[in-house]
Amino acid sequence: MWNTAIWRKTWGDQRGLLLALGALWTAFPWIYIWLSSQIPMPAFQDVLLRAIPQDWQKLSGVPFTEVATHAGRVALAFVDPVVVLAATVWGITRGSDAVSGQVERGTMEMVLAQPVRRTAVFVTQALATTVASAVLCGVLFLAVWTAIATGPWAGKVDPLRFVPATLNVFGLMTCLAGISACVSAADSYRWRTIGILCGFYVFSILAKLVGRLSQTLSWVGYLSVLNAYEPQRLVGDPAAAWPLLTAYSAVLLGTGLAAYVTGAVIFSRRDLPAPL
Amino acid sequence: MLVHTEHLSKRYGTFTALDGCSLQVRAGEIFGLLGPNGAGKTTLLRLLLGYIRPSSGSARVAGFDCVRQSLEVRGRTAYLPGEARLFRRMNGHMVLDFFSRLRPECRRDRAAGVARRLDLDCGRQVARMSTGMRQKLALAVVLATESPLVILDEPTANLDPTARAEVLDLVREARAAGRTVIFSSHVLSEVEETCDRVAIVRAGRLVHEQSLDHLRRRHRITARLTGPIGAVPAALAHQVTVGGETDGRIALEASDSLAPLLGWLATLPLDEVRIEPVGLSAVYDAFHRDRGADGRTA
Repeated sequence: MWNTAIWRKTWGDQRGLLLALGALWTAFPWIYIWLSSQIPMPAFQDVLLRAIPQDWQKLSGVPFTEVATHAGRVALAFVDPVVVLAATVWGITRGSDAVSGQVERGTMEMVLAQPVRRTAVFVTQALATTVASAVLCGVLFLAVWTAIATGPWAGKVDPLRFVPATLNVFGLMTCLAGISACVSAADSYRWRTIGILCGFYVFSILAKLVGRLSQTLSWVGYLSVLNAYEPQRLVGDPAAAWPLLTAYSAVLLGTGLAAYVTGAVIFSRRDLPAPL
Repeated sequence: MLVHTEHLSKRYGTFTALDGCSLQVRAGEIFGLLGPNGAGKTTLLRLLLGYIRPSSGSARVAGFDCVRQSLEVRGRTAYLPGEARLFRRMNGHMVLDFFSRLRPECRRDRAAGVARRLDLDCGRQVARMSTGMRQKLALAVVLATESPLVILDEPTANLDPTARAEVLDLVREARAAGRTVIFSSHVLSEVEETCDRVAIVRAGRLVHEQSLDHLRRRHRITARLTGPIGAVPAALAHQVTVGGETDGRIALEASDSLAPLLGWLATLPLDEVRIEPVGLSAVYDAFHRDRGADGRTA
């Protein structure tokens, strides 16, 4: 189930994107907290609690009273597109390259001419991607920690409150990478795999929004894996954070793992087309 | 037998890529696979390597089933695909390192030696290599192993004449070392000068197997008739076939040693006599000219 050569090659393949996202997530918390601190808290609370219609809280997922705190404002970074989209790009990019990317480029042909099991190729790549996701989340948390500890809000926020939120990001990355790898395992064109995953992601966003905004259609939200991505809730209520995280991780990590297992089975049994 | 297939077939919906292929490849021989584009040669090879599953029939390599024991098959086989694609971000050294780690018995120094013989600069990145250079690198990967079976699909494609000659030498050295080679090519001259036996595939069917040793003993004699010729002597009847007369010219085909024939030929009323080996092209053309797409006579 493991292959050292494939492990090393996968790290080489993902190194560029890993370094880029690592640099982005190192810089982003600093920039975000500095920019946020330019708006004084009373002004922010004024806008949030008085100027914006309270109905809009449905979109937020957490009460505006939680958002209008220093911890709540930092937690907004975890739902900022820089974090969410970067996590999504990572998951879809790495997952789609697992099989369909290599089949489309033709490099899978030479690899599978060697005495290596298909499941070993797939699982080793999955492990490398998952470990790299953990590294990126570690970078994100350290950046948040140091930005809080040395930034304008030092002493006003406990950095440890963001551990569950960071782990939630890891769950999202693993879930999307797993689903992407599963689709990739059945596909022969990376562009099509990415397209399917983009469609899935858009559907997930819309389902989550519909579930939040409509009482009669609230069940639609459960069709979205993004319903288990709620870093603001994990930050807003420290007492409930870990039980909530367990539930969210069960969905995200469970879905990711199930997708990886399904993908491994599909890949081990399918016919592989010859390179064009 | 090192390779044994029995009624091996592969169908994609209504399209039959390989139809009931039964062949055997002996250990220690160079076995050629000939056929036009789309004949099913690559399908056959990919079935052996486990890239695709057969619709029916079976295939075994060194006694291992190609479907259920694919790992064992690939552990005993070195395969060069028809379109060998390598990792663009790696250079030649990194590619050789990677594949030598994937295959325990692959010797890195041997791979480097093959690369040198093929005059390949391994310091260059694959993305910056020409098509021929990538082919040489793939050959270095494949020929560095000491597996009992080597399968080469179009190994000399995109190679310059010097490299082509080196590759054929390497194939012959593999046989001399006791290895078995399956050699798929469109270049009849290469198959003819290298292989011991050849199979001709057309429209998914194995239509003919030919021993090159027997082929080399076959000759075609053409001449201008200056008078009527009689019946072939009984002693030579088993090895001589007389063709029809066309525009005053006649063709005879001899399937065995020429020496017994020469005395009889000298008695015939012939002029402008030409004697030439039949050649693989004549055999190939017999199965590919004037035939329909299904391989049957038109």
